[in-house]
Amino acid sequence: MIEELIYLMPIITVLVGAIVLMFQSMYDRYEIKDFITVSSLFLIVALGFSIYHSGDLFTSKPFNDIFNNAIVFDTFANFFNIALLTGALLIILIGENYAKQQSYTKGEFYSILLFSVFGMMLLAHANELITAYIALEIASFAVYILIGFDTNNAKRVESVFKYLVLGSFIGAFFLLGTVLIYGATGTTNIAEVANFISVNSSDKLLLVYIGITMIMFTFLFKIATFPFQSWVVDVYRGSPILVTAFMASVFKIAIFSFFLRAILTDFITLEGYWESVLIVLTLVTLAIGSWLAITQNIIKKMLAGSSIVHTGYMMLGIIALGENIESAYSIMFYLIAYLLSALGAFGLVSHVIADTKVRVTYDDFKGLGQERPYLAALMTIFMFSLAGIPSTIGFIAKFYIFTEAINAGYWGMAIFAIFATAISIYYYFKLIAMMYFYPSFADKDVEQQSDVRISTFMIGLVALLIVWGGIGSAIGFFFPIPSIDAILSVVELSVQSLFLK
Amino acid sequence: MSETLILSFIIFLPAVVAFILMLTTTKIEDVRNIAFVTTIITLILVMKIYLNFEPKGEMQFVTNIEWISKFGINYYIGIDGFSLTILMLIAILIPTSYLLLWEGRTKGYWLNMLLIQTGVTGTLLSLDIILFYFFWETMLLPIFLIIGIYGSGNKVFSTIKVTIYTMGGSLLMFVAIVYLGVAFFNEFGHWSFKYDDLTTLTTLGDTEKLYLFFAFFTAFMIKIPIFPFHTWITGTYSDAPTGAVFLLSSIMAKLGVYAVVRFMIPIFPDTFVGFSDYFVFIGVFGLIYFGIAALMQDDIKKMFAYSSASHLSLIAAGVFSLNSYGINGALYLIIAHAIATGGLFLLIGILHYQTGFKTIKDLGGIAKKAPIFTFMFAIMLFSNIGLPGTNGFVSELLIIFGIYEFNHTMGYISAVTVLVAASFMLWMFQRAILQERVGEPLPMKDLKLKEIVALTPWVILIFVMGIYPDPFIDKFEPTVTYYINNFLQTGALK
Repeated sequence: MIEELIYLMPIITVLVGAIVLMFQSMYDRYEIKDFITVSSLFLIVALGFSIYHSGDLFTSKPFNDIFNNAIVFDTFANFFNIALLTGALLIILIGENYAKQQSYTKGEFYSILLFSVFGMMLLAHANELITAYIALEIASFAVYILIGFDTNNAKRVESVFKYLVLGSFIGAFFLLGTVLIYGATGTTNIAEVANFISVNSSDKLLLVYIGITMIMFTFLFKIATFPFQSWVVDVYRGSPILVTAFMASVFKIAIFSFFLRAILTDFITLEGYWESVLIVLTLVTLAIGSWLAITQNIIKKMLAGSSIVHTGYMMLGIIALGENIESAYSIMFYLIAYLLSALGAFGLVSHVIADTKVRVTYDDFKGLGQERPYLAALMTIFMFSLAGIPSTIGFIAKFYIFTEAINAGYWGMAIFAIFATAISIYYYFKLIAMMYFYPSFADKDVEQQSDVRISTFMIGLVALLIVWGGIGSAIGFFFPIPSIDAILSVVELSVQSLFLK
Repeated sequence: MSETLILSFIIFLPAVVAFILMLTTTKIEDVRNIAFVTTIITLILVMKIYLNFEPKGEMQFVTNIEWISKFGINYYIGIDGFSLTILMLIAILIPTSYLLLWEGRTKGYWLNMLLIQTGVTGTLLSLDIILFYFFWETMLLPIFLIIGIYGSGNKVFSTIKVTIYTMGGSLLMFVAIVYLGVAFFNEFGHWSFKYDDLTTLTTLGDTEKLYLFFAFFTAFMIKIPIFPFHTWITGTYSDAPTGAVFLLSSIMAKLGVYAVVRFMIPIFPDTFVGFSDYFVFIGVFGLIYFGIAALMQDDIKKMFAYSSASHLSLIAAGVFSLNSYGINGALYLIIAHAIATGGLFLLIGILHYQTGFKTIKDLGGIAKKAPIFTFMFAIMLFSNIGLPGTNGFVSELLIIFGIYEFNHTMGYISAVTVLVAASFMLWMFQRAILQERVGEPLPMKDLKLKEIVALTPWVILIFVMGIYPDPFIDKFEPTVTYYINNFLQTGALK
């Protein structure tokens, strides 16, 4: 009983936190920093509960009489919980400076953010399609609201509507797919669907095939692969940059948490059915993402385009899943690496925007290397990590995903993805070039900003994690520190827990 | 210090010092002095290794520690005669080049110079191919920054171009590395990226090997550069600051050749032998092509860029000639050319800094105003041309022997073409340095004592290596023999 309750604690903590924040925001006397403190405290407590189990291999269905197989607690979900909570915590803390400077951030912002995290965690635990749909919608609706928060941004209405309408539309596909699968199998529990698939011959599976395709649409839309990528740039552009960071990193992890589970337990047997389609989609995703990223002049849009490219790399891992299950590790590792790199990059941009209110385009970054050398150095690390340059975690993640893809025999795709990487060097290094190679504008507001604050420390911490992940135990050879092998083994445990009976 | 740690210490000392200096804001003079002392310490350690090194074919001073155990990636470093020679070269050239770059640099310049030293040394000593790739890519980053920040002219374009060019090549190699690793895993059931493990691969088919060979070779051809992957050099060499040009031409380009020998010969011996005909031809062609291109240049930095490419093509031809003469000669020319070209680029840097010109038509009358400068310049030039008595002569002679033994016609052609180099070098020397300038004389001061001290060891090396090459060749000759016996002959049999 107590044991089961502890499994539930992280998700309950976040929910309670969201509700507390909602009530707290009714009072005028609280300032932004109080909301930041409260929300991070709840997230830290939840994170503590999650980390408590991180080393174990377990799977459990607590309070099964109540939930009736709808949610499952295993190492896999726990891994994603840790990632989601860390991501959300980092966003809140990195955004401290930004939130203080903007007029529109109020207490509700944090409440809604926590509701969204709650939905995402529930998604990671979902063992059943309807639950997954509800969790997905909780998370999505919270994000729809967050997107529209920036009252100063003229683009916000467009962003909200674009995402809301398309998102709801694609959500309907998920429901339709669920209905079809239910019609064929009589169940929505993904483990039972897997049983049905394994005992029946393929002529009885037509409805399941169609249903799964519908559900895959939702997946592809949410992670923004071709042909569902068109919303990304506009939505990212119109939302507050913290929310953009949240969507690009944390939300994507949440989406993967459920769909990876579904693919690994269910759909994997049907891999051959959509393999060729996925290959084409991945190639086009990489190409379109690269093109979008190159042509942008606004850093946020460039990062949006680059997030599409990174999705493409992860799709490479998804395709390789058909050949060997181990490429799931590589996807999960990539998610962690991308979470850190993207959070760092978006967070740093938000920090700089908050201070000067102009740094939006490439040109606005001119001269940052002279004015604020430490921030520029950190940004350089994030760009290196996104580009996959050795000595950052981004390189290890790319190495991992390419190894799995080539091991599965997709070396042609690996070469294509490598070309996308070569192109990506252009748009990442362009920012570094702007920061270091040009003098700053003379007419710029040169008032000295204090960089000694929680935002910058958190950004520095992320950079440190990125370098640690990239070098790992190469330093451990002089000083005893844990290497990235630790992350890899946690990831392996997580995937194994899916197959525990 | 224990034997196993000494190499790691040599690799990481400059980077660690650079990070400490970056965080503790100190005066530029302090940064420079500490950087200089660091390189001197490195030099002393390398000297120690050089003296303790036993001339034999196998790896020595090996360190092998697990890094990413899941993929069998190790921190695996060691040294043999081949890398020892280049390590010695790096250790001598870098501190002395500091003396020539002494004035007018900023903190970031020195930090980047230190980071580059870590990058090149790491690339040189790593025996695990992922570790090699790690350093190979990282050493480009400080170069990227140093050219972009301290360069001149169209620097941003040049920087982005050279970065994308070299990284594009490296990424292709990266796929090939991963492919090799996967092939190894499928054959032996465990992961390993050690170069000596990868040589034991037997499952690769001929076509596969061909693709992999070219993926590797593209990366190295770009770095060296070999025709037709040379288009980045002129812009980069002419816009980059002196220190970066020096490092690019005398050290990094050589690492490309080094990597061919270290990784490609052992892993693909048969493909290497099979394609040697073409590559000797491309090498000799490059020798002629870049020679003629150099002849056309007015910008001295661009001229040296082409001349450097021309010599590197000769080195590549020597490596591909598959015999002891050619490979020993190539190694010897790596050293000789690094000293001569490095010296020339640094002297041109001084000339450019003082007069403001680097084009032949604007220069002149230097000899009268700066006789010691002219003297040093002439020695470097003669070594570069390969005048008898200098080390350039010994090495070019050996390579031409090697190419002759490989193919008589190629040998004749290369022997004749070496003259082209002499012609453009001497012509430039005459016009830019010796001849009186039209118009008012340039504000040129002669070399300072510090700079003379810095260049003296180079001059001594040029002559000692030219007159009595045995002690130097003895250090790496066993390694070359080992390579020929173990890899090239098995390759030729297939």
